[in-house]
Amino acid sequence: MGTRLLHIFRNTPLGRETLFQSAYFCKQTGFSLVIYIPRFKKFLMYFKNDAVQVDLDDSYLVAHKTAEVHAKEITESLGIEPVFIQEDAFTASTLPDIPSDFDFMCCPRSISDMSSKVSLGHIGSPVRRIVRSAKFPILITSPVFKPWKSIAVMFGGSRNSVKALKLGFRMARKTGMPLDIFTQIEKPSTRKEYKAIVTSKNFDKNLSTYLHHWYLFEKHQFEENLYDVPHDALVVLGAYGHGVIKDILFGSKMETIQSTLSNNLLVVGPKYSQVNR
Amino acid sequence: MKRFSMWRYPARWPLFRVDDRLLLIFTGAIVGILSGLAAVALNRSLSFMFDYLHRFRGHFLAFLLPAGGAALSSIFLNQIIREKPGHGVPEVIYSVSRYGGLLRFRSSFSRLISSCLTIGSGGSAGPEAPVVMSGSAIGSNIATLFSLNDKQRVTLVGCGAAGAISSIFNAPIAGMIFTMEIILGEWSTVNIVPIAIAAVVGTEVSHFFTGDQIAFSHRNFSIHPLDVISCVGLAVLTALASIILTRMLRRMHGVVAKVSLPFWLKAAVGGCAVGLLGLYFPDILGEGYHSITEMIGGIFEAGILAAALGAILKIVATSLTLGWGGSGGIFAPCLVIGSFVGLFFQRGLTVMFPYVDWVNEGCYALLGMAGLISGILQAPLTGIFLIVEITGSYEVMLPLIVVSAFSTTISRYFEPASFYLKDLVERGQLLRPGTDSRVLSDLSIAELLETDCICVKKDMLLRDFLNIVQKSRRNYFPVEDEKTGHFIGMVHLDDIRPYLFNRVMYDTVLIEQIMNGKMMTADISDELPAVLSTMDENGFFSMPVVSEKRFVGMISKATLLDQYRKELMVQTSDT
Repeated sequence: MGTRLLHIFRNTPLGRETLFQSAYFCKQTGFSLVIYIPRFKKFLMYFKNDAVQVDLDDSYLVAHKTAEVHAKEITESLGIEPVFIQEDAFTASTLPDIPSDFDFMCCPRSISDMSSKVSLGHIGSPVRRIVRSAKFPILITSPVFKPWKSIAVMFGGSRNSVKALKLGFRMARKTGMPLDIFTQIEKPSTRKEYKAIVTSKNFDKNLSTYLHHWYLFEKHQFEENLYDVPHDALVVLGAYGHGVIKDILFGSKMETIQSTLSNNLLVVGPKYSQVNR
Repeated sequence: MKRFSMWRYPARWPLFRVDDRLLLIFTGAIVGILSGLAAVALNRSLSFMFDYLHRFRGHFLAFLLPAGGAALSSIFLNQIIREKPGHGVPEVIYSVSRYGGLLRFRSSFSRLISSCLTIGSGGSAGPEAPVVMSGSAIGSNIATLFSLNDKQRVTLVGCGAAGAISSIFNAPIAGMIFTMEIILGEWSTVNIVPIAIAAVVGTEVSHFFTGDQIAFSHRNFSIHPLDVISCVGLAVLTALASIILTRMLRRMHGVVAKVSLPFWLKAAVGGCAVGLLGLYFPDILGEGYHSITEMIGGIFEAGILAAALGAILKIVATSLTLGWGGSGGIFAPCLVIGSFVGLFFQRGLTVMFPYVDWVNEGCYALLGMAGLISGILQAPLTGIFLIVEITGSYEVMLPLIVVSAFSTTISRYFEPASFYLKDLVERGQLLRPGTDSRVLSDLSIAELLETDCICVKKDMLLRDFLNIVQKSRRNYFPVEDEKTGHFIGMVHLDDIRPYLFNRVMYDTVLIEQIMNGKMMTADISDELPAVLSTMDENGFFSMPVVSEKRFVGMISKATLLDQYRKELMVQTSDT
């Protein structure tokens, strides 16, 4: 089976921008685009250890009749032939189950709350739950379609950021785009220690093949340094998908990045297991 | 830090890594306590609401109480919790049969609150199914906390259901049997021990808060053989009542779907209608345990027609409450309807055969309850043991067995699936462990793919093709389009046989000329049962599988049988 990205389509101008992002992602990587046009306001995704209910806002059910035609128009304009899926299993009569065996999924920053969708609001709790539970990375799109021309990996040395780096190499291999690594050095760690982590994971060959530049920041705040991330880069980062309370207590790099950068983000959760295809 | 991380993940505690059964027993006990507490909380809340609202019952606008309760319940479920109204038991069974018992955390409290609002305000529904949903969701989430696998999670879901039923009825055996018979659909030794522990713990929680009391006390019954024989007639009546209740509930859902009103207004309309019925016949309001106590105690004073009317109105009231958007279960209404039916039957017998010394009407009320539970749930053991335990009357065992067995058989004749399973059966989503459909649902085409086929091009000469045949161990050779990579046909070894002994053909015949271009294919995303039925209908032993029009492998019945056996062994093993 080919590598597939799941997109939940919304037949609105904002939904059009989001679908353009997904189609562009598939075009660059050669992955297949699977589109689900919701008929109900909520759906369930059963992951290995969690059942995530996604409550959509009303805009997802707008103009259902023209949704498929519009989706085809958008994807075909980028030369992508999408596959449409429909609900075939239901937990309750108005609560369909959507398969969770995809390789990527596209989510807007929030899928249940209109207020945070257009601007850079917080990441909604269903999206966090999906990040936490899914084996696949989540493509969190920018509000307006913007083709990306390079890959930027946020690498902080954690287990999740190692996964993100792996995914970054995979994306660079698939797209042929240059890859930059961004590291905020957090004392008492040193530059050498970050490089040692990469070496210990046998990434040296990948580094020599795909790496364009490794930005190691020792000065300034993390938010300030994010200015150096190219505006047209696909940002790959690891995240734990903690809930809002843990975020408030311990802080969240993902939240900082997504509320500072308007780039497309590819977020790798703790359950992500890479399949090389 | 390492020590802290160990405490953070209970599943890593050395005590539980010693033995999985010990872990299940421990977690089962925790689930039993929590589901028992959930049941006690709901019971207490209902009592509080009944007491508080009792002062308004005499008011001429009292019929609006169930309307308000149902509307609030509906708003709570739809807008705040975002769940579907209803009792939730099919959701639990569905999750057990398809997703290893995964249930949302919100389900552990949502139905408790919504059913409390519906029933407490006078809606005709029962608290048992919401408590089962709640207990099961607690079990599922405890399993996630302890990082248990699917099989263990299913056991804990069962523990939650058993703990809840045991606590609410003070009936541990009925709790266990209900779980095995209805929720899990299997009896395995690995499940029984933790579920029994949870049932006992749930009952003890109930004892702690409410004391060790039998739900419905009664007088001693002296049962004669004629009473046992007459139970066949009672079984016919209870089966009839259960069929009517099942169909009316389902029809009501169909009717309500066509009404274009906001969901909360629909619930209010249903509640209002129940309230109006309740003005004239208060016994149909709420869970109805008070009426049951009267009937079993033999102090229900109204006559035979009132008993018949009570059964009919309770069926209508339950359909109005649950069909129009209220929240709650059918367990308690079944007990009420059953006792009305039993009372009606006994009084009918007394009128028709006045010289026979029939056992008193309380006994028939009990038998009617068992008959209705067995009829609607098609779970005779649950009906029998529930009634024995909630009344403590072991002397009625023989007639109970007769009523339950006949009622189940008759209702199954007209309604092949029980009330809880009907929707799932109709959608083809009831997958009990060890059944063909369950085994097939747990296998995917991707797992069964044979990928050692060599693809060939359509413009290849037969000579080149024969070189490939020499290297291959397969009889099938998929043909791909050179430009698009799409699958366009298949060459079987039999197809080249006519040309094999004519060497002139080797450099003349192209693969395109001998391939079968009309070969049926399966898509990798197809459901396995659908692919199998296509193979059966066409007499195929194997089929090519494509993904996005590209060949990805072959699926064959031989590989399927191999995997099928392995999967069946996993599902039916007791470890």
